[in-house]
Amino acid sequence: MSEKRPGFAVYGPLIAFIIASAFPFYWAFLVGSHDDQHFKAEQPWLPGGNFLVNAKDVLDKVEFWKALGNSLIVSGTVTVSVVVLSSLAGFAFAKLRFKGRGPLLVFVVATLAVPTQLGIIPLYMAMAEFGWAGELGAVIVPNLITAFGVFWMRQFIADAVPDELVEAARMDGCSLLSTYWHVCLPAVRPAAAMLGIFTFMTSWNDFLWPLIALNAENPTIQVALEKLKSGYYVNNSLVLAGTTMATIPVLIVFLVLGRQIVAGIMQGAVKG
Amino acid sequence: MTTDTSVASGRGAAPRPPRRPEGDDSVGLVDPTRRYRFSNLDAKFSPYLFVAPFFVLFTVVGLFPLLYTAYISLFDWEIGLDGEFVGLANYVELLGDPQFWNAMVNTFSIFLMSSVPQIIVAVLIAALLNTALRARTLWRMGVLLPYVASLVALTLIFGDLFGVQYGMINDWLEAVGLDRINWQAERWWSHVAIATMVDWRWTGYNALIVLAAMQAIPRDVYEAAVVDGAGTMRRFFSVTLPMLRPTIIFVVITSTIGGLQIFTEPLLFEPAGGNANGGASNQFQTVMLYMYQAGFGRYELGYASAVAWVLFVVIIAIAGINFMLTRRIASSGED
Amino acid sequence: MRNRRAGLGSLLACTAVLAAVTTACGSDSGTSADGKIELTIATFNQFGYEELLKEYEAAHPNIKVSERKTGQAADHHKNLFTKMAAGSGLSDVEGVEEGYLSQVMTRAGQFNNLKEIGPNVDGRWLDWKTKSVTAKGGELIGYGTDIGPLAMCYRKDLLEAGGIPTDEAGIAATFATWDSYFAAGKQYAEKTGKAWFDSAAQIFNPMHNQAELGYFDKDDKLVIDSNGDKAIWGKVTAAVAQGQSAKLKAWTPEWETGFRESAFATKTCPAWLLGNIEKNSGPEHKGKWVVTGSFPDGGGNWGGSFLTVPKQSKHPKEAAELAAWLTAPEQQIKAFKAKNTFPSQLEALDNPELTESTNEYFGQQVGKLYAEQAKKVDVAQYKGPKDGQIQDDIVGPALLSVEQGTNADEAWKKVVEDAQKATK
Repeated sequence: MSEKRPGFAVYGPLIAFIIASAFPFYWAFLVGSHDDQHFKAEQPWLPGGNFLVNAKDVLDKVEFWKALGNSLIVSGTVTVSVVVLSSLAGFAFAKLRFKGRGPLLVFVVATLAVPTQLGIIPLYMAMAEFGWAGELGAVIVPNLITAFGVFWMRQFIADAVPDELVEAARMDGCSLLSTYWHVCLPAVRPAAAMLGIFTFMTSWNDFLWPLIALNAENPTIQVALEKLKSGYYVNNSLVLAGTTMATIPVLIVFLVLGRQIVAGIMQGAVKG
Repeated sequence: MTTDTSVASGRGAAPRPPRRPEGDDSVGLVDPTRRYRFSNLDAKFSPYLFVAPFFVLFTVVGLFPLLYTAYISLFDWEIGLDGEFVGLANYVELLGDPQFWNAMVNTFSIFLMSSVPQIIVAVLIAALLNTALRARTLWRMGVLLPYVASLVALTLIFGDLFGVQYGMINDWLEAVGLDRINWQAERWWSHVAIATMVDWRWTGYNALIVLAAMQAIPRDVYEAAVVDGAGTMRRFFSVTLPMLRPTIIFVVITSTIGGLQIFTEPLLFEPAGGNANGGASNQFQTVMLYMYQAGFGRYELGYASAVAWVLFVVIIAIAGINFMLTRRIASSGED
Repeated sequence: MRNRRAGLGSLLACTAVLAAVTTACGSDSGTSADGKIELTIATFNQFGYEELLKEYEAAHPNIKVSERKTGQAADHHKNLFTKMAAGSGLSDVEGVEEGYLSQVMTRAGQFNNLKEIGPNVDGRWLDWKTKSVTAKGGELIGYGTDIGPLAMCYRKDLLEAGGIPTDEAGIAATFATWDSYFAAGKQYAEKTGKAWFDSAAQIFNPMHNQAELGYFDKDDKLVIDSNGDKAIWGKVTAAVAQGQSAKLKAWTPEWETGFRESAFATKTCPAWLLGNIEKNSGPEHKGKWVVTGSFPDGGGNWGGSFLTVPKQSKHPKEAAELAAWLTAPEQQIKAFKAKNTFPSQLEALDNPELTESTNEYFGQQVGKLYAEQAKKVDVAQYKGPKDGQIQDDIVGPALLSVEQGTNADEAWKKVVEDAQKATK
């Protein structure tokens, strides 16, 4: 940007917003770093020294690493697939002409409005029919592409990819697929990275469907962590220590993809 | 509409050189006639191949549940018991069910209370994020943090905040001399509290979506505005906002759909958790909660399916209206 | 820099896909490659079966058992009912909690009759425990695991402050009947300005469960307007009007805080709640809580679970055998020692390991006390098809609405209407 650096009018509201956004993470760590009883009695505002004790307890009580691995497989696969397939479909809807384009797009958006909660029963039946019940595939396959992703990429590509560029690539003899790959994808990197983040988070935090679809040996991290809530009295320090541990990989993905977003933006700014 | 080889016409910026990875110079070395034929087939069928994954997957994992619930909604069917075909009786009963209409009113109330401020604040935050910030990754990712927060932590935090007798907000209110509020019991206040939770969780998310669109606005458009002597505010309203049209439409439609399906926040707000009653007198029970209660509390899957379908139709209608309105308001006369 | 990251990304994607493919090769025949019979058992909360299952496998070399544990009962039962609806996917042995029992009994046809397929275990349990899981046609749907016999817990220091005698005779008199209980509560509330119990629903439920006739008669006819519930409603809501309720809905964070804040002086107290009282009240209230066997108008039960064998099981006989073994007195005593689940087996109730067990926080021999409470229960109130729903979605919320200011008579009218609507 060629303008002057922003001042307090920009940073002030943003700082307030970020503090409110980050508070639950601090709070989860706060509770997770104390002894449950001590936290309840004192309600301290500074972290205690009990995090490692709680973390060890979490590792003893649930198959943390296995579940973490499963979650990485599930969320990683789903994310890559959603980004690629959604942007491909979004590209077609935004930049290509074919019969039925309009109605098909409306159909895609309309599927967003289907309330999904009840769907788990027939979905389970379908998965059992395919022989996937209990396997990671049952959690991965239904999420390989989303209506949200298609709609999002379509809206973004419509504006971010100039028609002339697509035209030029076609003149050069690029097939549509390579036009997508060489022209469209680079231009939509920020949006694709953002979709990646959304998808990864949603998949990572999903609970009810993995609980039902997977068997006992194959939990995802959220399903495994739920076991920490057993007992009539729930030890919140333990639960939130586990939650904090499960959040760390997410934050890493967050920063990596976040850089992609910013990198994409900078690139656009330089070239534009 | 014909399936010719041209791309859809539309608004676009001045042409930019195509970006290619270094080392890729595979341009036009094939026999031109073959290439032409290939390209023709390509243009005809590739678009369908590109959108096929969605439709194939939807057919496999989406369509069956959809048709299944439609079918089930015609039965007086409880999980684990024999169902009886009742035709449209579930729908008739639903339309005369005061608890359903109560849930509808709650849904719209919470939806309006949350989404209007949310979209405005999201655009403003996006505008702030679109300035030349230091450490911009941190700021941009920071606003998305609520989206990642675990529901377990949120249940506890919101429970502590909105607690009636020992809650923090009530303590603050009392400290400044105001009356304590019964967040649970009073319908209006329960909606305010839930809308606050919704906004907290989703504003940053929408801000980032808007931001991505802002960044897609070509520089030269801004530069032209600067040359014309437009100030920051002026540029925001007469350049940025109109250029955001597809994204604003996207945000409005997805928040309409998401807002009318509001489920997690009112469920979290129910203090004892897991109960979809939405308060002692259903004062904050939304349609999704009602559907959930019918399906997984009472196991009346037929009735719950009818709720799902009616809600689906309502959402489509409202999203359609919103789409028209947004398009007209943000119209720049194309597409 | 950018290239390397892209390479890493695609590598990750490839391994992910590969891993997904390779893991998708399980078998669902219920028999493993080495010819062992594979049984699954689904439990929630804490049944204390980890060691027991290893023991069972060691004694039965042809059987392999895997346990599917869920933390919260609500999640476990959501899974149970989803798979019941889907027609597949249930474990060979499924735990069922008392609160969901009426819904399960209505669907008794989905479960095996354990009298038919299981070993002979007649007379193993408390009579009312077995009756509650016996279907109308006499089919036994589940084996009892644990129970939640009711006692009364009270804060000695608070009662003294309220002028209520805490000697043995005084306690016996105060907690003799619900009438004496509410009379003492009125006095306590007037004198101290504080609440007597935590919330109305926590009092109404045990009172309701003591009656012979529940929400339904044996013909599944709704009798909520003609059984004793209206009188119970009147007593409880009158107590609310006198300020006896702390209006803290059970299991909320506020309720938990209420223990520490000494917001109420008494608590209806099933055996499994002692841990909650201890943790929620905190060490500073140690020695102040007392549990007494003087429960108003007799005893009662709150909670406990069963092991069932769904018809979906491919090895129902072996599953029933496992369930029978797990619910035998010796095993349940071990589970009690591991996770404090209070056994429902007659023989286990006389086991010294149970009767001599003490609770340090209360400083009392609670095992003996609760074993006696368990034997005091004499009715197994018949629970009709929508019992759980009426309790959780209609009566409970209505009591809460009275605590939030709704007129008690109007709330009752709504309860009756809603119950009729729900069962028509």
